[in-house]
Amino acid sequence: MKLKVYADRMSQPSRAVIIFCKVNVIDYEEIKVLISKGQHLTSEFAEINPMKRLPAIVDGRFKLFESHAILIYLACAFPGVADHWYPADVAKRSRIHSVLDWHHSNLRRGADTYVSNATIAPVVGRPLNPQAAAEAETLLSSSLSKLESFWLKDAGRFLLGGNQPSIADLSLVCEIMELEVLDEKDRARFLGPHKKVQRWIENTRSATNPHFDEVHEVCRH
Amino acid sequence: MKLKVYSYRRSQPVRAVIIFCKVNGIEFEEVRVDIAKREHCTPEFSEINPLNQLPAIVDGEFKLFESHAILIYLACSYPGVADHWYPSDIFKRSKIHSVLDWHHSNLRRGPVTIVQNSVVAPVFHRTFNPERVAEGEKILSAALSKIESFWLEGNGPFLLGVNQPSIADLSLVCDIMQLELLDEADRNRLLGLLTIKSYKMIHRL
Repeated sequence: MKLKVYADRMSQPSRAVIIFCKVNVIDYEEIKVLISKGQHLTSEFAEINPMKRLPAIVDGRFKLFESHAILIYLACAFPGVADHWYPADVAKRSRIHSVLDWHHSNLRRGADTYVSNATIAPVVGRPLNPQAAAEAETLLSSSLSKLESFWLKDAGRFLLGGNQPSIADLSLVCEIMELEVLDEKDRARFLGPHKKVQRWIENTRSATNPHFDEVHEVCRH
Repeated sequence: MKLKVYSYRRSQPVRAVIIFCKVNGIEFEEVRVDIAKREHCTPEFSEINPLNQLPAIVDGEFKLFESHAILIYLACSYPGVADHWYPSDIFKRSKIHSVLDWHHSNLRRGPVTIVQNSVVAPVFHRTFNPERVAEGEKILSAALSKIESFWLEGNGPFLLGVNQPSIADLSLVCDIMQLELLDEADRNRLLGLLTIKSYKMIHRL
């Protein structure tokens, strides 16, 4: 039975999982669950994930949600996934856990809250909240600064000084790509000051293309 | 060179790491960093963790922060840590990752928001903010319901229905224990949200 990936390509963590599968030639079936149509709230989907969040996977009888847990599971369970995605070395792996954990309360919270409150909320039936957007903007700016000055401080092309991408690069860059739904001025305001971040986004994109661009088409409409 | 754990015991994730070390007989030196005195912002501590957060560890030349990453590192690196803390079985391990990830945006945010905007607000140079406290209570209440109805499903007394604790139990329970900082009336009201299953888990741990 093929791996099933329940995803909405408008969801940043869904994109990371889909791209990972495509790049690593993991055979899977993508089952689209559209958040804008409330499909994640149905009783059918609750059977897959009672928390009603995306992405979620079903591998045989094994169900899993939370994108970082999924990426780690896929890296370990599927043969042919190169070591750089989730290294076996404990120290390297720990550093990847460290940035993935930092991500939850920093880049993800900043980017997701800002974009939701500034633009997407009406699509999913919620009112815009300028105060939340202002706070999220501060968090997003400070997260991008920390990426620039700390997570990307070493010589390599990717996070933590790596020369090849890991699941952390994929997860965080997919988050930043959410900013594509903003207008160009807004996006330039956030990303403009950070040259290393911009280079890193490009590096991650080239390392995972053509899949990266194909999966991100939804952000451009 | 002994493992160093940079610690502030009022911090929930710090407590999870310290308890884990003690329970597993991991030899370590506890280096106290007083957040109330802003010792986490000194140049000395920035050398340890440029993001100025606790807990952080130094093991030989290896530095690490973020408590979940630390717990996993310790479970993998130190001999004698029993498998149930962080099982080698990929399915069990993935479920632990899943609850630890869920924790960041759910249970953890609840007590932190309540406590930082009320009793310990002055430590963070904030004033009492009832709106934020109310938000924190909503998050906490939703998270506790999910723990009760989903994560504690199954026969065992611990998260994911198992019979022995994992690093996930330790991490989440330390967050719930943060409510001990509140006055008794508030604490009882919020902990009243916990029902039988959650109490059993906390006390078994």
